[in-house]
Amino acid sequence: MPLLRKWLGLSVIALVSTTVALADQQPSETPTASDVPLSPDELKNATSVDALTVPTPGEFFKAIEKGGKPNWTSEYRPPVSIKSSDRAQMALSLGTLIADGYIAVEAHDGQQVKNVGKDVLALAKKLSVSQSVLARGQSITQFAENNAWDQLNEELEATQNEVKKALEENRDTDLITLVSIGGWIRGTEVVTGLVLQNYNPEDAKLLRQPALVSYLKGKLTQLPEKIRKDPLVQSVNSSLDGIQKMVSFPADHIPTVDEVKDLNSAASKLTKEIGASE
Amino acid sequence: MIRFILMVLAGCAVTLARCLADTDDQVAARSDVIDFAGAFQNDGFKIRDGNFFGKVSKDHPQVVAVNLYSGNAYWFTASTGQKAERLKISVFDDNGKPVSYLPYEFGDRAAAGFSPDASGLYYVKVALEEGQPATFCLIYSYK
Repeated sequence: MPLLRKWLGLSVIALVSTTVALADQQPSETPTASDVPLSPDELKNATSVDALTVPTPGEFFKAIEKGGKPNWTSEYRPPVSIKSSDRAQMALSLGTLIADGYIAVEAHDGQQVKNVGKDVLALAKKLSVSQSVLARGQSITQFAENNAWDQLNEELEATQNEVKKALEENRDTDLITLVSIGGWIRGTEVVTGLVLQNYNPEDAKLLRQPALVSYLKGKLTQLPEKIRKDPLVQSVNSSLDGIQKMVSFPADHIPTVDEVKDLNSAASKLTKEIGASE
Repeated sequence: MIRFILMVLAGCAVTLARCLADTDDQVAARSDVIDFAGAFQNDGFKIRDGNFFGKVSKDHPQVVAVNLYSGNAYWFTASTGQKAERLKISVFDDNGKPVSYLPYEFGDRAAAGFSPDASGLYYVKVALEEGQPATFCLIYSYK
């Protein structure tokens, strides 16, 4: 029944979209399946790109909202102040902070959005990418003052992309992976925390992400030795091993409360480690 | 010597022209796919700020890995921006088996609507059914 509802929803969307916006075009309205499975070569050579393969925290959070409005403010954390000059830690922290921004947007908390925006900018300055992010920071403040939540969501995503682009331009491409990892870890901490507050199987199923962790770990192994040997990066890498096992369950398995608790503990521990001042 | 320098310069010019042409193709493809995805945006779908440019020909489709969440609905959209092409998008599970999705194809534009029952890895295949090899832009929207 839920499947039928989903398809009806998509069909209505397709009908409305195509008849109104694409009025002169003829869509097929029947759900279909491609005839030929992917070949082993196609599977092996499939492209993975951060911009599409790694979901944003906002996407993760949107999925958990389906079961009702979560208590987003319960997932706030104390402000993070990174005093260290460890660039790997700064990049990981930046990822977690951007995820914090999404939480504040979901909570419709303008002041918190501005607070997080300032923290993001401060860290971006330390990573020498503040110029690109500065304009975004100003837009975030404006949108937060106008309660423009949809635009804020887009602006946060754009900010994350600007940071990554600036890191690329500064020849700091290695740090991009760490920003993505930081965001995913904090997102996982938040989503598991929300699942635990009001456990239901549908929400628990969201936590299945084996390929994503495998992809992120693969990117870690490609980092230059200097970054790989960074104690925090080593710790993240080793913690991701455990986390990978926790999110690698069969599609028909529903994680139990205890399993969600374990994942929440692991993600929380790692988030704290990333945000530790020294 | 002069002939050699002229040949090198000519080679550079051809390479530069090719690079610029690719960039133009990408701009056209991206602009068109964003315009196309706007229809879904009107229905509450949020366009993700990220894209993938690829080259596709009749014998060489492109497959992109994506990680999706159960409960979300997705539209994958692609365009070459070249009116003469015929694109197709299809969706597969983590084993490469086809899944049920809602197809939409119109010339250089193609889309696939999909609501996963299980979170995890999926593959999106962009194929060219008719036309000359082309650069395409793939994006997705979700809600």
